[in-house]
Amino acid sequence: MSFADVLARARAEGRTLLSEVEAKDVLREAGVPVTLTTLATSADEAVTQSEAAGYPVVLKVVSPDIAHKSDAGGVKLNLKTADEVRAAHAAILKSCSEAVPGAKITGVAVQHMAPQGTEVIVGMTTDAQFGPVMMFGLGGIMVEVLKDVSFRLVPLADRDAGQMIDEIKGRPVLSGVRGQPASDIAALKSTILKVSEFVAQHPEVQELDLNPVFAYPDGAIAVDARIIVSAS
Amino acid sequence: MGVPGHRLDAMFNPKTVVVVGDKGPNYMWLQNNMPFKEKGGNLYSVQLDAKEIEGIEKLGIQNFTSMADVPELIDYALVAVPRQVSPFILKDLIAVGANGAAFFTSGFAETGEELGIKLQNTLVDMAKPANFNLVGPNCMGLYLPKVGVRFNNDAPIADDGKIGFLSQSGTHGIMFSLVAGANGMHLSRCASFGNAVVLDVSDYVDYLMHDDETEVIGMYVEGARDGRRFFETLREACKRKPVVVWKGGQTSAGARATMSHTGSLASDQAVWEGMMRQCGAIVTNNLDETIDVMKALTLAKRPAGRGVALLAQTGGQSVSITDAFAKQGFDVARFTDKTYAELESFFNIIGGSFQNPLDMGGTVQGKTETLQRILSIVEADENIDAIVMELSAMFAARQWKAKPETLTDMLDTLKTHQEASGKPFFAVIHPAHEAEYIASIQPEFHSRAIPVFASFERAAAAVKRVYDFHNGG
Repeated sequence: MSFADVLARARAEGRTLLSEVEAKDVLREAGVPVTLTTLATSADEAVTQSEAAGYPVVLKVVSPDIAHKSDAGGVKLNLKTADEVRAAHAAILKSCSEAVPGAKITGVAVQHMAPQGTEVIVGMTTDAQFGPVMMFGLGGIMVEVLKDVSFRLVPLADRDAGQMIDEIKGRPVLSGVRGQPASDIAALKSTILKVSEFVAQHPEVQELDLNPVFAYPDGAIAVDARIIVSAS
Repeated sequence: MGVPGHRLDAMFNPKTVVVVGDKGPNYMWLQNNMPFKEKGGNLYSVQLDAKEIEGIEKLGIQNFTSMADVPELIDYALVAVPRQVSPFILKDLIAVGANGAAFFTSGFAETGEELGIKLQNTLVDMAKPANFNLVGPNCMGLYLPKVGVRFNNDAPIADDGKIGFLSQSGTHGIMFSLVAGANGMHLSRCASFGNAVVLDVSDYVDYLMHDDETEVIGMYVEGARDGRRFFETLREACKRKPVVVWKGGQTSAGARATMSHTGSLASDQAVWEGMMRQCGAIVTNNLDETIDVMKALTLAKRPAGRGVALLAQTGGQSVSITDAFAKQGFDVARFTDKTYAELESFFNIIGGSFQNPLDMGGTVQGKTETLQRILSIVEADENIDAIVMELSAMFAARQWKAKPETLTDMLDTLKTHQEASGKPFFAVIHPAHEAEYIASIQPEFHSRAIPVFASFERAAAAVKRVYDFHNGG
């Protein structure tokens, strides 16, 4: 689906938060590397899609009423067989409807579980003074506790993306420490620039999180995506 | 020369200045601007209050009771009337076609109260359609050292100013001007712009970046009315000359309502930092850092690389000066073999060292020829991009006091070196136990345009900021 279609549907349904499947669809179309994620509306579909994606897989609830998927028991990781997928599917539906009674559950998002990489966050928000701004940081504790992130105003030049990566305090982590491989800086730069281009083209996008993005020695991929659009 | 054709040009190069509503017994604004009159400018007063007029005329200032009576076109008016009166004054200024005015008057939107907000809106609604250059309100207005327009009685009069300075705060504008002056640096033009309801910081930056008398721009800013325009203007200014931004209000105003992780992390300060780096601005956090970097920008040549030669008087200080510069990413480089060979021929290595950092106190022993020789040898070294030299109050103050020519001879040697060299030179003198005396000899440095810093750390931070500016951050 194109961005215009996704936006029209969200607005028709009174949503400002795109589903993970929608967000990844529009980002992939814009050339941002994201894990292929599909929407399953039944256990059978979940199994078929898991086999297409390749085990192990991740299942996540898709619901406009559930903002914090993990807290509601809506995320199951590292599922290796069809039986595990069926069991996980049932468990997600049960715990989500208990955690958020009456929640509308659209289905379950199915994706191949990407191998662990170095976790980074790439995001965008709309600043009251400066409009759209991009953010980059290392994932996990570095962003949560130390707020080790950098910002630039959209649109970014190549040099800006490079500086965003270089100026975070945790930069040496991306060069590989304690035997960890170095991350593909060019792929991270390209991800930042593609997102900058995407939000510059679509002023309806108010906020965006790619959290986390897994950085590998060769390439990088966003395994979760969140997009908030303006109401009208 | 200014910027012919720019909307702010007449105001920034005034021939006629009017003070509106000044009051005795001190007549602060007329007193501040007396140098403008002494330099041949038309300085007038507009004041209706009969009991003030006598005092104004005693100062030798011609007073008018109506704006329309002022015989020349008003280039700049400083308005100090009660807030309720200010719309009437603005109406008159617009009617006579004045080129600009600063409203010292306060009590507007900054109070948060209804009347203040209403009055401010009235000023905006009048000024904007008339395209009137309104500075402030709630500000100290312009400081133009060359023509003698001032916002403070102690602010220096000088025609060699290179720094254009802008300040959202009156205090910081005045304090920067005074401290810069006390450090031997003068301003080209300065505006304290307060609430910035008509002219915003971007308008002033736009003028200063085109002004050939302004070599370096500095500013104290807390926010911009049009952030996007400020970003574009600042980025353009940084391509033309160094711009130093001291951003005030560094604590976040509280969490915003946001649905994203990114939004929750995008504090005002974090976004500003990114924006300033994106523009290539030099970022400072306080007055001292701002003054220090201005010294490095205006008094020294540009460092072409990270290689520094560090000249200290003792072994202990050699270590400390190295620590300070290494922490800022400078390379305390190995000299070339040629340099070593030359230094070796005369260097006193007992209690000294001619490795970089140089421990040279025992070799120089106050002999300016030896100092000159060391400076020339080190300066010629291809691994060296800048020289930083420690002067020791602890060891030398006694001698400088007893024989002042030993100080002035040394400073002359440094000045000669600095002028001849293509590489930057920086001096550091910690006041040690001689704070009063060291303060008293600062003018000796300033008159020779030698950039001098009070600590290794402050010197290293300032040189780093300048290096980064010239080398793309």
